[in-house]
Amino acid sequence: MLERGLEEKRYVLNLGPQHPSTHGVLRVELELEGEFITKADPDIGYGHRGHEHMAENRTYQQYLPNMGRVDYLHALAYNQGYCMAVEKLIGLEVPERGEFIRVITAELNRIASHLLWVGAYLMDLGAFTPFLYCFDDRENILDLLDYLTGSRLTYCFYRFGGVPVDIDDDFTEGCRKFIKRLRSRWADYDNLVTKNVIFINRTRDVGVITKEQCLKYGLTGPMVRGSGIPYDIRKSEPYSVYPRFDFEIPLGERGDVMDRYLVRLREMEQSLRIIEQALDQIPGGPIMAEKVPKRIKPANGEVYAAVETARGEFGCFIVSNGDLKPYRIKLRVPSFGNLSILPEIAVDTLVADLVAILGSIDVVVPEIDR
Amino acid sequence: MLKDDIQKALAPLNLEQVAAGDYAKTGCHLEVTAAPERMPEVAQTMLSLGCFLESLTCLHYPEHFTLVYHFANYQELCRTAVHVKVPLDQEASTISHIYPGANWYEREAYDLFGLRFAGHPDLRRILLPFDADFHPLLKKFEASSGDA
Repeated sequence: MLERGLEEKRYVLNLGPQHPSTHGVLRVELELEGEFITKADPDIGYGHRGHEHMAENRTYQQYLPNMGRVDYLHALAYNQGYCMAVEKLIGLEVPERGEFIRVITAELNRIASHLLWVGAYLMDLGAFTPFLYCFDDRENILDLLDYLTGSRLTYCFYRFGGVPVDIDDDFTEGCRKFIKRLRSRWADYDNLVTKNVIFINRTRDVGVITKEQCLKYGLTGPMVRGSGIPYDIRKSEPYSVYPRFDFEIPLGERGDVMDRYLVRLREMEQSLRIIEQALDQIPGGPIMAEKVPKRIKPANGEVYAAVETARGEFGCFIVSNGDLKPYRIKLRVPSFGNLSILPEIAVDTLVADLVAILGSIDVVVPEIDR
Repeated sequence: MLKDDIQKALAPLNLEQVAAGDYAKTGCHLEVTAAPERMPEVAQTMLSLGCFLESLTCLHYPEHFTLVYHFANYQELCRTAVHVKVPLDQEASTISHIYPGANWYEREAYDLFGLRFAGHPDLRRILLPFDADFHPLLKKFEASSGDA
């Protein structure tokens, strides 16, 4: 209610498209009453590059580099999802060593993505120091992956039938060193952030998502796990060599922003466990399938392959009409579904809380826009 | 088994096809084909069985559009693909009142293909600018042609 006889008016505020908390070019049109939000309407598409249209104009191999550019923070999972879909389509088996290298690198990439999220998210909430810690740790992963793949961010590393480069002792050693180093940092993170009373007050019971909302909006990834649903493609629809490793799915209880933060933090430790086991168990042998066709020309058909990225489920749906180029590729990206719940959970919150909620969804805008 | 439950629940709807899929080849456990106007009933059934809408996409063929809905479940591995053929000059039925998450997927299908959804509360463009006058994923579309 406004005082001094002022007329009650709808106040429209543009959050973005260039706002530090939107992590990319995302605009949210807010309608406010005082400082409370009555309506939030996200406007996406500023980074639309037409990846799905590009797919129809190039061969299967030529499309591989695109997969590093949809979600640039967890590019290797997209590499993997696309390769799995095509391998299913043409019936190609990946040798065991190849699968192990895929798992090790994809998990390293997942930790890098989560570390960046933790740092950037806390910066949204006004804490600058954790950002420096996270980027310091993340740099180690980028060095490792740079050594192996030749790039730091937009990886194009997996091939149909395996991986092109084998890991060596230096890489293995580097991984083990990194695991030790990151484990020694958890205490710092907990002391700096998780037990910080300002952080707790900003995040507890804010942006609560119920299990029913998860179901109706088709949320995936840390968003559902924060609400207590144990849905992780690595366990629910096991792919690659994940069933051989012993790891847990961290779950939240209340489904608020704090739970989603804790889920991601704990997931990094689980990824470390997976990498550790994979390094111990990795078998010898080839890293590429023996007979990979040079011309990929699948028969008529459809295929859907899903992988768990740092943000949720990435599904690659390919329709082939027997041509050298795909008839259609649909990229089911996690952040698109995850962001669509924002108009519902943003209502009746403060603008400052919206920043906390938006950050906890962990959107990567180019991934939504494709 | 969820797969049997879905088959049983969909049987009374008399859909064109409800059959087991080849999971190893297509990644789907169930293949369903339905007419556009039956889609809300199918969605209602899937929701009552606790399945969520994983993805919704459109395919453009010379004579018709095909909408492909993928449903999955948080508890049990069972992916259902529902194919809906919509003639080029007709509208599909919205399921956004059943699955609010479908709202954006339907907007995307409209944006990229020009396919309209009857009953959709807010059928605006989503990825492209609001004043765009083309639908880029139609097969006849070429990025370099005309004004586009």
